[in-house]
Amino acid sequence: MQISIINGSPKLGKSTSDLILEYLTPLISDNNAIEIYNISKTEMNEQRLAYIENSGVIIFAFPLYIDSIPSHLLEFLIQLEKRQFSDKNTMVYCIVNNGFYEGRQNYIAIEQMKIWCASNHLKWGQGVGVGAGEMLPFLKDIPLGHGPNKNLGNALKRLSLNILSAQSGETLFISPNWPRFLWKIESSQFVWYPRAKTNGLKRSRLYDQVNNAVSNK
Amino acid sequence: MIYPQIDDGDVVISENSAIRNCIGCFGCWIKTPGKCVLKDGYDNMGHIFSQADNVIIISRCCYGGYSPFVKNVLDRSISFLLPFFQTKNNETHHKKRYKNTFKFIVHFYGENITSQETDIAHSLIKANAVNLHANDSKVFFYHSFDEIAKGVQL
Ligand SMILES: Cc1cc2nc3c(=O)[nH]c(=O)nc-3n(C[C@H](O)[C@H](O)[C@H](O)COP(=O)(O)O)c2cc1C
Repeated sequence: MQISIINGSPKLGKSTSDLILEYLTPLISDNNAIEIYNISKTEMNEQRLAYIENSGVIIFAFPLYIDSIPSHLLEFLIQLEKRQFSDKNTMVYCIVNNGFYEGRQNYIAIEQMKIWCASNHLKWGQGVGVGAGEMLPFLKDIPLGHGPNKNLGNALKRLSLNILSAQSGETLFISPNWPRFLWKIESSQFVWYPRAKTNGLKRSRLYDQVNNAVSNK
Repeated sequence: MIYPQIDDGDVVISENSAIRNCIGCFGCWIKTPGKCVLKDGYDNMGHIFSQADNVIIISRCCYGGYSPFVKNVLDRSISFLLPFFQTKNNETHHKKRYKNTFKFIVHFYGENITSQETDIAHSLIKANAVNLHANDSKVFFYHSFDEIAKGVQL
């Protein structure tokens, strides 16, 4: 089977979407021809667009931006829709990850993907909403399915089985197997403060307000 | 004229020049707090929101959400918030960078907006309003841009 994976994270370095796809691909390789395209990094030329259109399965992995699909991915989805899919049996799956702890907040983006799927007359497979996305890189040495990665492992397993058998499944929302209150503290301690320090900023500077006059753009 | 009167203090953001898409670097939180690092004229959205009593959006409805341009402007606006988390109604959201709150009003147009799309659009605007700490939110639908051009509901 031909599978196209579309990574919609616009991050220049490694993204959580990349990491999730590294977990997922071995679960679905099984003699399948898999192509992964990051639409921010790969030029989506005719050959690649044709590959997507001829795939039996399309998997989208992307971050949640402002409660919905990121702008550049939205543009790409519109571009794909304009080309019109000829094979209406293609199954569409998606994995959306977000910054907040609750994977459920990805609900709207997954519903938007269902609407896209319906406008293209394709078949909806399944959506997975993964919470606390910025925490996953910290857990990359813990095997999938264990400790804090337990829920993610289970969800990706279920998703992969559905992909391999071209089945649909209910939307899954997960958060790490880790307390929310701890992540709330840790996200400042391990993510924002160290990153600010790397840029030579004191913690207090993170609260800066911009006060110059507004210009009419 | 869609809005009967554009006052001196009103800021209109439309696609007058090319906009780059957010690259997810969080520079607006950890490098130049409050400002986007992409200098293309759309880097000051957080500050613009901090001055607003009303944020009014007019957008084509795409898959129950905003058009790519409008979405791009919103994606480029997270400098309005702080990176830090707070829990509201048992859900995580970001803390405020500024004191102000605004009313969030969205006008969506499109020829074939389905009921599925209006449902999602309602959920989206509600979620955005919570995340942006808006004091009120409203969403309206129109069959075409021409219908909006005749005048919007306020
Ligand atoms: C512009 C922008 C908007 C975002 N909006 C949300 C949001 O509405 N809700 C949320 O939970 N996380 C939001 N996030 C956080 C990302 O979803 C989160 O950092 C995610 O893990 C990034 O995934 P990636 O590494 O695959 O790009 C936003 C991030 C950016 C840069």
